[in-house]
Amino acid sequence: MSFEPVPQRPPHLSQTGPQTGIAGAESARSARGALTISSLDKSFTISGTARKVLDGINLTVRPGEFVSIVGASGCGKSTLLRLIVGLDDEYTGEIRLDGERVATTSLDRGIVFQDHRLFPWMTLEQNVELALLNTDVPKSRRAQIVADHIALVNLTGFEKAYPHQLSGGMAQRAAIARALVTEPKLLLLDEPLGALDALTRVHVQNELQRIWMQQRSTMVMVTHDVEEALYLGDRVIVMTPHPGRIRRIVDVDLPHPRDRRSPVLHRLKDEILAELTAAPTDTTDDARGNLVLLPTREDR
Amino acid sequence: MATAPASFLPSGSRRPGFKLGPLPQALVPPLALFAVWQLACLTGLFPEQVLVPPSTVARTLARLAASGELERDVGVSLRRLLVGFGAGALTGLAFGAATALSRWTEAALWPLFLLLWQVPVIAFLPVLVLFFGIDETFKITIVALATFFPVALATFDGIKSVPRAWFEVAQVYRTRLPDLLWRILVPATVPAILTGLRVAITRAWVVLVAGELLAADSGIGQLMETGRQLFQIDVVLAGVITSGVIGFLLDRCARALEARATRWKDA
Ligand SMILES: Nc1ncnc2c1ncn2[C@@H]1O[C@H](COP(=O)(O)OP(=O)(O)O)[C@@H](O)[C@H]1O
Ligand SMILES: [Mg+2]
Repeated sequence: MSFEPVPQRPPHLSQTGPQTGIAGAESARSARGALTISSLDKSFTISGTARKVLDGINLTVRPGEFVSIVGASGCGKSTLLRLIVGLDDEYTGEIRLDGERVATTSLDRGIVFQDHRLFPWMTLEQNVELALLNTDVPKSRRAQIVADHIALVNLTGFEKAYPHQLSGGMAQRAAIARALVTEPKLLLLDEPLGALDALTRVHVQNELQRIWMQQRSTMVMVTHDVEEALYLGDRVIVMTPHPGRIRRIVDVDLPHPRDRRSPVLHRLKDEILAELTAAPTDTTDDARGNLVLLPTREDR
Repeated sequence: MATAPASFLPSGSRRPGFKLGPLPQALVPPLALFAVWQLACLTGLFPEQVLVPPSTVARTLARLAASGELERDVGVSLRRLLVGFGAGALTGLAFGAATALSRWTEAALWPLFLLLWQVPVIAFLPVLVLFFGIDETFKITIVALATFFPVALATFDGIKSVPRAWFEVAQVYRTRLPDLLWRILVPATVPAILTGLRVAITRAWVVLVAGELLAADSGIGQLMETGRQLFQIDVVLAGVITSGVIGFLLDRCARALEARATRWKDA
């Protein structure tokens, strides 16, 4: 793997590692971050009873694509991302990244959690550098790479700040920088902007769009904000709970960067909202499932 | 949004309780106390052998200091404190970490620990005198014991309360074990451990002085005990004031160290 984060260029253009060789940018791009999920089932066992959280998930994400996932809370979005990133490996079905089956965590797959999870005793710089500890990036180049990624998220000047000295939006951007510094083929974002106020959200959404357009790595973002999902996503996956299923996949056929006022976005938003608030399609196996309502991981 | 910040380093003095020097208003109550005490003596209502005026205690303190007696006894006590504290802190750290990091040791050792933890260290004194006599070993052992328990407890709790979320971050970045230990586990537990050490050193000091009162041939406690036997209440009170001031300073220094080491916390 090569680490050459030049924010002005998509990273694959500067990649000269052995995997890409001289094959050229286009094929390098197609080999980066193709995610396939097939017949994925996931259950949690709570006091002896297995409860299905994800049911028959099939999804293919193209390299460089931005996919948004929306759905009611508890429909298994975080669980899905944890499976993809490799923090949980108890599932049936298949998750493959560029053909390789996901078994555990890997530096090819990055994740940004809803809570930024920066270490409070490390400065921003040290937090970002932590991601590079177990890589073969030469020590001499790490400082520059870290600085480049801090610049990428517009936090230059705050390298020595501790997390408590950053605002919520800045901390979340710092977490994005940390996740990107290893140049993962696939970046997962679990409601990364969920805790931000409306204005900061819009701001970080714009940043995220710009970063993705520069990096062109595959991104899968979970959000509960339909507008955000549509603004950023090439496709929006609509999920329904009990058990978590993909109900619909919406193509957002608009070029980036997008205009928030686009009538297409507004029409799609209304459609998706109608879908999300509609009565569930099948109520057969639902009655029992609804009884157990655990708080989500973030709440615990 | 990215405006350059003025300064990142939190100035330590912003935290209350951080300063070593007492605030002016903090001096008022002790001075008032001394004044009332002095006035009570002047009324002549109490026999002079029982209530010695602070002026006499001050003179006695000055005499003890000048003769080198005070320095010697305080020195002896502090040396015991240091050795015993060191031993107790190291074993407490090791024990706390070992029990917290393995389910097996936790199940085996922690219940007994929690039981013994409920026994006041002072209650061990008679037994320890029987075992060790009143030698140095005895005094160092009681200090070590008084240190061991709070440090072990703080270490255990500190490690146990490291959020799972942080281990997950390490997992995502495939952080190697040494880095996980030194960059994540240790910094995450240091605040709890430092608090444990601070509690421990002040407790250890109290227990040491008590132990010296009970059985010793030197040290600040013994100075007071000898004074009591000779009806030199001024010497006893001089010892009381000295041990109080030392305990206060130990706590202050420990707090200052704690604040310094956890500067990254919310200011
Ligand atoms: N570790 C776990 N053990 C048991 N149940 C869990 C666990 N994690 C999540 N769940 C359950 O799985 C369901 C989906 O959770 P989650 O993926 O966090 O939902 P979402 O992110 O869509 O809000 C919820 O009902 C939740 O209670
Ligand atoms: Mg979630």
